[in-house]
Amino acid sequence: VTDHGHEAPLGGRILTPAMKLLLALAVLWAALVAVRLVFGLGAVSAQNDGYAWGIWKPLNVVTFTGLAAGAYAVGLVTYLFNRGEYHPLVRSAVMAGAMGYTLAGTSVLVDLGRWWNLWVIFWPPVWNLSSVLLEVALCVMAYTMVLWVEVAPAVLERLRNASSPRVSAAARRLLPPWQRAMPFVLATALLLPTMHQSSLGGLFMVTETKTHPLWHTAWLPALFLLSCVTMGFGAVVLVENLAAMAWGKRIDGRLLARLNVVPAWLSLGWVALRLGDLAVRGRLGLAIAGGVHALFFLLELALFLVPGVRLLSARHRANRGRLFGSALLLVLGGTLYRFDTYLLAYQPAPGWRYFPYVREIAFSAALAAIGVAVYVLFVKRFPILSGVERDAAAPAPRAAARAAAGR
Amino acid sequence: VTPRGAARISRRGALRTIAAAGAAAAATGVAEAREPRRPRDDDAGMLFDATRCVGCRACQTACREANELPYERKQANGGEYDAPLDLSGSTKTVVKLARGDGESAYVKTQCMHCADPACASVCMAGALHRIAGGVVAYDPGTCVGCRYCQVACPFSVPRFQWFTAFPAIVKCELCRHRDGKGPACAEVCPRGAVVHGRRGDLLAEARRRIAAAPDRYHPAVYGERDGGGTGVLYVTSPRVSFAALGLPTLPDHPLPQTSETVQHGVYAYGLAPIALWSAVAVVQLRARRKPEAAGQGREEAE
Repeated sequence: VTDHGHEAPLGGRILTPAMKLLLALAVLWAALVAVRLVFGLGAVSAQNDGYAWGIWKPLNVVTFTGLAAGAYAVGLVTYLFNRGEYHPLVRSAVMAGAMGYTLAGTSVLVDLGRWWNLWVIFWPPVWNLSSVLLEVALCVMAYTMVLWVEVAPAVLERLRNASSPRVSAAARRLLPPWQRAMPFVLATALLLPTMHQSSLGGLFMVTETKTHPLWHTAWLPALFLLSCVTMGFGAVVLVENLAAMAWGKRIDGRLLARLNVVPAWLSLGWVALRLGDLAVRGRLGLAIAGGVHALFFLLELALFLVPGVRLLSARHRANRGRLFGSALLLVLGGTLYRFDTYLLAYQPAPGWRYFPYVREIAFSAALAAIGVAVYVLFVKRFPILSGVERDAAAPAPRAAARAAAGR
Repeated sequence: VTPRGAARISRRGALRTIAAAGAAAAATGVAEAREPRRPRDDDAGMLFDATRCVGCRACQTACREANELPYERKQANGGEYDAPLDLSGSTKTVVKLARGDGESAYVKTQCMHCADPACASVCMAGALHRIAGGVVAYDPGTCVGCRYCQVACPFSVPRFQWFTAFPAIVKCELCRHRDGKGPACAEVCPRGAVVHGRRGDLLAEARRRIAAAPDRYHPAVYGERDGGGTGVLYVTSPRVSFAALGLPTLPDHPLPQTSETVQHGVYAYGLAPIALWSAVAVVQLRARRKPEAAGQGREEAE
């Protein structure tokens, strides 16, 4: 039985060969964490006193949460502008968001030099309210919890049919109040990313003399907020398509086509803001001054301009392959802008160099693998994805685990 | 939802928002305009005179002893040396050679003790903070090791211990642990190149030296206004620029002034956040009452 528009678990075996590879990467990640805990951050990362933030911040934190902003992007359209027709996209985006944010938080924990002092984040008397990073830390932590609260109904819906009568009764009791609280949860879920996604750019307001003038502007918060939404829309299209390729999930092409006019305008707005701000500050000349900074600036602009213009066309959006291509460009544009702001445009002082170690890149890759593994586990066991076959024929979790153990 | 319905929602939302914002403003009051914190004459400070330093590095060694910092051991030709090349997780001051215009000079580097320090502005729990008397102090008890101070400091002064399981941020605190005896580096300087005192007196001394030998000094005192003013002041020869000494060109305003103005402006009285939160909550609560028009109603029907 198919039930288009309603979410259903995919079912199927958990311990596939691909999943085993992901788990092997998870073990590698744990080993790297152990090395870091014993020998210090310098043992796993090329970060140094000049580049005190390496790739883990722009990649694991800012890009992962940028991709996870699909939950925010679709949420804004669905809940603030009250367009219920996009609801089939929400759960998958929220699940990916919960994973993205959990990974980002985990990465920060490993990257904190003095992690045992983390209690200060939970102790308001010592807070420095001028610190943009404090705001980011509090918001990201709160939002990660909110995302899991949003995921919970999917789990509860599944547990209603659990074999244990105690569990199913508890799930039935918990679900209605949980959903009554949803308007306030959703309001919080849209407020928190607005705050911290802009602040991820605001972090570099203070580095007025260290950040290249093509990137340093009072509009950093707005540019980061806009681009997290374009990235989020891109990520939603990518995840929908990847799920279709992997599991034969059906895609509502008309829905995605209609939705993706939003990132078109946001992308073009980002380009206009970027160029307008430079023009007002009289710095546009730097863009054509040559050199590596001008080159990457122009590349960024192209990565926002091209999908922005292409997505304006309804015919372009209706073509699944072309929409996928533009979504990829949206994600790449947002990612490049983040890497540029955090690394390329950041010039601490003459003489400092930074290039990540292979093990440092492996840390990020393995972290992403853990995220994919948990996402797959959830969509197979819980009603997250829409447009999939209901898993009446799929083996129950316990049977699947037994089958896997027996192999 | 019809456009008419949406308009009703936003009007009601706006009323609630204004009421809530008023309450929040009364409760918090966090959004005052950010004034620069200016240096004071009786702040603790230090004067470095690049025309007098002979590069003996007595200051480096005295600092190491006074702060109980480990040697930076380097081996060469069978000999061993304590030879720090830069500030680091075990070195709070270091003497470097600066190449000027046909003339070189030694330059001592350490924390500049800004009047309005960027490191303290960005520090999540105030581990870095300016204490009464003008020293920018570090309290490892509330430091989580995020290293935002390193990113924010325009002088790249704070250093991190990268190769230990239990690291800390390391930077000069003007020997505040020596009970008013002042920094050890100034105490041992044989040439009066490193002088400790009150900032006002040091500024007067710097001007006196410049006026007494205008041909031997650059007319400016670095740190008087740079970056909003610093507790550590530099004078140099006209042939070795401040840039050559490794001192960055900074605006006259403190860097946190701009960043905090934007940050506090966006969150002025919590207005914008409360407005957004209320708008979504109101839209969703209304949508629930009319399930047929709602994004959320479908779930309840299940």
